[in-house]
Amino acid sequence: MSDSQSTTGVASRPAANSDSAAEPVLVSEQLSQAYGSVSVLSDVSVTIESGTLTAVVGPNGSGKTTLLKTLAGLLSPTAGAVHYLGPDAEREIGYLPQRPSFRPQFSTLETLEFYTALVDDDPEELLARVGLRDAAERRVEALSGGMTRLLGLAQATVGDPPVVVLDEPGSGLDPTMRKRTFEVAHELATDGTAVICSSHDLALVEQWADQVIVLDGGSVVDTGSPAKLCNHHDADSLWDVFDIAVEKPDNQVAILGVDDE
Amino acid sequence: MSNKIQAVAAREVVSVVRARSTLALLLGVLLVTFGVVFVSNAEPDYLPTAVDLLLPMEFLVPALAVALGYRTIISDSTRGELDVLATYPVSVSRYILGVFVGRALALTVLLTIPLAIVGVYLATTSPTTPTFLATHQGVDSPLIFVRFIGLTVFFGLVVLAMTIAVSALASTQRSALVLGLVVLALVIIGLDLLILRGVAGGTVGDEWLTAVLSVSPTSAYRGLVFETVLSTAVETDLQQASPVTSAAGLLSWLLGSLAVATVSVSRR
Repeated sequence: MSDSQSTTGVASRPAANSDSAAEPVLVSEQLSQAYGSVSVLSDVSVTIESGTLTAVVGPNGSGKTTLLKTLAGLLSPTAGAVHYLGPDAEREIGYLPQRPSFRPQFSTLETLEFYTALVDDDPEELLARVGLRDAAERRVEALSGGMTRLLGLAQATVGDPPVVVLDEPGSGLDPTMRKRTFEVAHELATDGTAVICSSHDLALVEQWADQVIVLDGGSVVDTGSPAKLCNHHDADSLWDVFDIAVEKPDNQVAILGVDDE
Repeated sequence: MSNKIQAVAAREVVSVVRARSTLALLLGVLLVTFGVVFVSNAEPDYLPTAVDLLLPMEFLVPALAVALGYRTIISDSTRGELDVLATYPVSVSRYILGVFVGRALALTVLLTIPLAIVGVYLATTSPTTPTFLATHQGVDSPLIFVRFIGLTVFFGLVVLAMTIAVSALASTQRSALVLGLVVLALVIIGLDLLILRGVAGGTVGDEWLTAVLSVSPTSAYRGLVFETVLSTAVETDLQQASPVTSAAGLLSWLLGSLAVATVSVSRR
């Protein structure tokens, strides 16, 4: 968590999409998700706007991945609903799983050629966008973890979907690669895409996100821009906000479905 | 065929071609096929060779189909690619069809190459004057062997579809392998044993035998070979099986298995 503890303050970078009015493209209404008797999400209502980068933060097991999968339409909620309000598109929502993996015997270019055969797009342009042009002929099995994630990021944007969901795009990467994933996410948002990503890197979230959703125990405990959250909690940084909003007094990992005694 | 099915199928073909095990599978099929031909004491003719190859193919073809198919869907699932593909405008049925078509092409090539080489060998060594249109009973011809290859590939496609279904039902690679072996055991011997038990116990009467035999893929394949390959060249009044019900039985297994795979992936 060392990088999470370092803070940069609210960045002075330009807003992702300052030219056009942001419009809601994805809305969840009172979303609940349960696996058997274990409630993972409870009454989650969020609005995702076009041209913005929304970060979902929260401790391990807080329901981030479940929320992202439900928003991406990969899980059916047990209650509530997700509404896509964006423009008509061949592919409405792009998705990067937490641990992206591809067929090892294919090159990065061949991998994207497969996906662009499903939705029209230029695989070489996609590789260039994430900085993998020079690795076009490299087999997926020979890619580093960071390069695989960047390839996953390129895959998530195939077909230029109006919404892109990224599950911890920077997880396990070195600081440079991690920053690069946020830069790419911000570039997407600048181009008008609604980008939702989960992350534990609060410094990068504070620097790049337009909206932050703080999740704890499957519920949204706060939401707003990094500056708004800092003001609301009278905190100096997003790390302090996180500390105040979700810290458990006994410093134990929160296990959903297990009640506090 | 739609472009999306073609794309999925092409990916499967390339995956098989680049897999290290594919060459071993091809060599294995070549070895068994030629081993049977050369070990056999029969005349190097089409009909005797088809007869000699029938039993080994009942073991070899399911084994090849299981080897080619058991990891297909479960690998995409464990890699998270099923989730990713769900965000693309590709229906589950098209995805399953694409996977099946791609693997089916690979299986067809892996079976056809060795058998075609045997066919060429027979064409050059057979003492029988080649008669390409075996329209009359009692005539051995290359067409008999071509029919045998076609039926063998069809049998392989049926077991491949069954294997893809269990790959879709499995939750891990290991369970996919176990379920694949169960399919192998059922196809090779299990269903035939059940039918045999039914006949011995009187549950299956003589009047139902040909129909019941078509329920077992191996029996249906064997029946089709007897009725459309061997009976062409050997005059006999004894009907081994009903070609129509045998073909319908195999087709039902194929389509039913693909339907099971589609429903299973849809519910993931």
